Amino acid sequence: MTTLLTAAEQKKPNLWRRARHSFAVARHEPANLIGLVLAIFFAYLILAPVLSILVDSFIVQSGDEARTHQDEGSFTFYYIVRTLYSRISEILLWQPLYNTLAIAAGTMVFSMSIGVVLAWLVNRTNMAGRAWFATALIVPFMLPTWTFALAWTTIFKNRTVGGQPGWLESLGITTSNSVAYGYVPIVFILVLHYTPLVILIVGNALRRLDTQMEDSARVLGAPSRVIAFSIVLPLIRPALMSAALLIFADCIGEFAVPYILGLPVRYDTLATGLYRALDTRQNGVAAVIAAVIMIIGVITLLIDVRMMKEARRFVTVGGKGNMDRLRKLGRMRLPASGFAGAFVLIGVVLPLLTLFLSTIMILPGRFTLENFTFDYWIGSNLDTVALRNGILLTPEFWQAAWNTIVIVGSSSMISGVLGLLVGYAVLRCSFKGVGSFLRQITFLPYLVPGIAFAAAFLSLFAVTRGPIPALYGTPLILIIALVAEKMPFASRSGIAAMTQLGKEPEEAARIAGANWFSRMTKIIIPIQAGPLATGILLPFISGIKGVSLFIILAIPSTDVLTTYSLRLLDYNYDQAANAVVLMIALIAWLGTVLIQKISGTGLAQGLEN
Amino acid sequence: MPTITLTNLTKCYDGNTEPSVNKVSLTVEDGEFMCLLGPSGCGKTTILRMIAGIEHSTSGEIAVDDLVVDSVHQSCFIPPEQRRIGLVFQNYALWPHMTVERNVDFGLRLQKVPAHERKERCLDVMSKLRILEYADRYPSQLSGGQQQRVALARMLAVNPGVLLLDEPLSNLDATLRLEMRAELRRLHQTFGTTIIFVSHDQWEAMTLANTIAVMNKGQLQQIGTPDEIYAEPSNRFVAEFIGNPKINLIKLEDSNAEAINIAKHIQARRLEVDNAKVCAIRPEEIILTDSANINTLPMTIENIMPTGGSWVIELSFGEDRLFHSTQSRPRWREGDQVNAYLPTPSLHFFDHDEKRLVLSESHLDYSNLLPSSALPNKQNANQIHTNQPYAKQA
Repeated sequence: MTTLLTAAEQKKPNLWRRARHSFAVARHEPANLIGLVLAIFFAYLILAPVLSILVDSFIVQSGDEARTHQDEGSFTFYYIVRTLYSRISEILLWQPLYNTLAIAAGTMVFSMSIGVVLAWLVNRTNMAGRAWFATALIVPFMLPTWTFALAWTTIFKNRTVGGQPGWLESLGITTSNSVAYGYVPIVFILVLHYTPLVILIVGNALRRLDTQMEDSARVLGAPSRVIAFSIVLPLIRPALMSAALLIFADCIGEFAVPYILGLPVRYDTLATGLYRALDTRQNGVAAVIAAVIMIIGVITLLIDVRMMKEARRFVTVGGKGNMDRLRKLGRMRLPASGFAGAFVLIGVVLPLLTLFLSTIMILPGRFTLENFTFDYWIGSNLDTVALRNGILLTPEFWQAAWNTIVIVGSSSMISGVLGLLVGYAVLRCSFKGVGSFLRQITFLPYLVPGIAFAAAFLSLFAVTRGPIPALYGTPLILIIALVAEKMPFASRSGIAAMTQLGKEPEEAARIAGANWFSRMTKIIIPIQAGPLATGILLPFISGIKGVSLFIILAIPSTDVLTTYSLRLLDYNYDQAANAVVLMIALIAWLGTVLIQKISGTGLAQGLEN
Repeated sequence: MPTITLTNLTKCYDGNTEPSVNKVSLTVEDGEFMCLLGPSGCGKTTILRMIAGIEHSTSGEIAVDDLVVDSVHQSCFIPPEQRRIGLVFQNYALWPHMTVERNVDFGLRLQKVPAHERKERCLDVMSKLRILEYADRYPSQLSGGQQQRVALARMLAVNPGVLLLDEPLSNLDATLRLEMRAELRRLHQTFGTTIIFVSHDQWEAMTLANTIAVMNKGQLQQIGTPDEIYAEPSNRFVAEFIGNPKINLIKLEDSNAEAINIAKHIQARRLEVDNAKVCAIRPEEIILTDSANINTLPMTIENIMPTGGSWVIELSFGEDRLFHSTQSRPRWREGDQVNAYLPTPSLHFFDHDEKRLVLSESHLDYSNLLPSSALPNKQNANQIHTNQPYAKQA
């Protein structure tokens, strides 16, 4: 044994030497370069549109020179004043804002109350058909929200709008406007859609809860009521809060349902108001509304972050989260199943059945045999103005389906790969700042509801800027926007997958002498194949269902299934529109089954991420 | 086979004020089997990872033979893929998507070794490690011990000059540990590789290594053979860390009755060790007798704990407790009064910096050893002189 100490080495190395050494180390770590490139890329893709729309609300837009008495591009408070303080601000902002908050709050309250009960029934009781309900109750979450909206109009539509009447109307029952349109049906449908989310999140928390904690209380003589309210409820409170906030944030950005059910009675929300402002070329006002939506999103997320921080104090590593102790329901066993069954009936069976029946009925609401036909699916030479063939024989449908696959498919693939790379860069990058910047910026689109994000994209990419040509009207803008919109999910799952993998497999490959390229292609990507496939398929499914991005950014040549069906609806081809919607639901369902096959995890876990 | 030299090696992680590794200097000679031993968080794994190149140093330098591989001073850093040093991870880090054989020949493929030679070397290593029959299995289908042998084979296949092992036995159950221990010693002999391994377990370190480097809080405490470390701990930390049951510590400064008594007792034996603050004695060095004399201390037997073939006896002395361990069945019962004799050569003294104080020749006055008739039995008497209980077991 020898110890070597020389005077020169005793001194602390100076800054220059340390920097050069850090560079020598970093040179061999490509994650740094990747991280830097990704950071710049996302700064342009995500940060720039958001900033652009914020700036737009203070800049005179083209065509508004006369109104503002200023040159185009100069600084102005015109839009702020017009949206917030003018005579029409009540219509532009305040009433839609009130409606939006009322919808979000109502949806939150009702879906939480129903969802918690169902989550408890499914996870903690011996209700009949428990296992079946665990899957069936989740299905409404897989269907696009506007599936329900269309089913609703099919049944309840009244004379307020033209076109084919609703079933009830044709059966001689006149529905009032308040039942057919506006607040009640919107909240009803959103509750159907979001209750499964509560079941997923709260159910998971219930499953993870260590039953020993309850047992301890029981041993001390606490009755069930006390256990529920002073042990279980406080412990799952973080999950409850997080589910509530998720629903609230999603409802703020919800576009399709109020678009279908609110427009006929001029019941505007912020999202539809934003769409209307863009449609009438009031870009400045649209920017202000988008900013308001973003601010609500940011506030919601800040509350969420705050509460998550608090929730961390509660985290107990559940020793054995075993669930062998189920509450015996006794006589209530069948009524409980009846309750869950009613939810499945209203949330899955009725809407899908209604939609399907509507596509094979010539006149709505007339249940006679000669009224049924498959013409709207496979008929040809029909005596209609346009759309003379059944939907499956119409080239536009297949064009739209192909567009959907190409646009949504390629963007999901890109976002899946980028997500994995973000995960890689975040965990490996030697510079902490770059890593946390990437983490935060890829999460930013989550704060910005789709419709506001689409508006932001429009504002940035509609015109030529520097080397980037005007992208509006090309599939490219849709792909880029979709990639950006899906990044919160993609990067989170990428980071999670890379965290779970850990550094060791790659370090072992380095030790074995593998360079970066071999490490990526032979170790990281093969191991992450499963998560990567899920990371591509999940955005694909939600992309297919998505409406808000497309309705603003798509043009007829880049029609996708969602915009195609909404347009058919506008032209009153209800049967065809509903048929397209059913096809979308079918694709979404097939994709979900595929995920289950690939990842081997249950539907519930997959969707919760 | 190379020599590895660490010079003032220091590592500070971002945000930590205390360095994780603090000015560690040591040389690992060619063919050595060295253990970095210390409690968890003492920086031993960080050193291993710095030698492999997965972490980089904050200051100081690492050299393999004469080649500096990491030095802030010279602004040089050779990445792990170019160092030709093998590292077996604590959790093995086998690639789950490859079969055992693909795991093992991965490194050879990267070196573009021709297929037939690759196959040959793979088979050779796998048969030496007795995993040939699992060649087509995936890591998840193997037991812990088998996985570890695959991890070893994966590194040995490329024939690295130095093999680094992170806690090689900690994830194995008791029988496998013994088996793997023999395996590692055999490997060291057949391949002649320099091996450095990290452990928090003194048993693992004592039984495997030729040389042990004890670490604490990022600093090197002592380097030596297992026997040296046990018999002559260089400071109080090493004395306390090594040995089971733990060494008995007697604070000579405390105002409590026992300390005063022992201090008087030691002084009675004219052992005036300057600056001594703490006196220590290994449990097996204490000798219990029935008869009292000037060199013995009266104690009460509080507890007799059989540990299978040996016994640990808890003795109370005033308010404090001492532990005594013995290989022979105790003649006393719990509650009995006995007399304990602490032989002078077995006493360790540490100063206020907790460094070991070396007893001068005059201190080692054997005249006050008890007459042999007073000793409980011959076996214990022998232990006083051999003073190396692990020499026999190893």
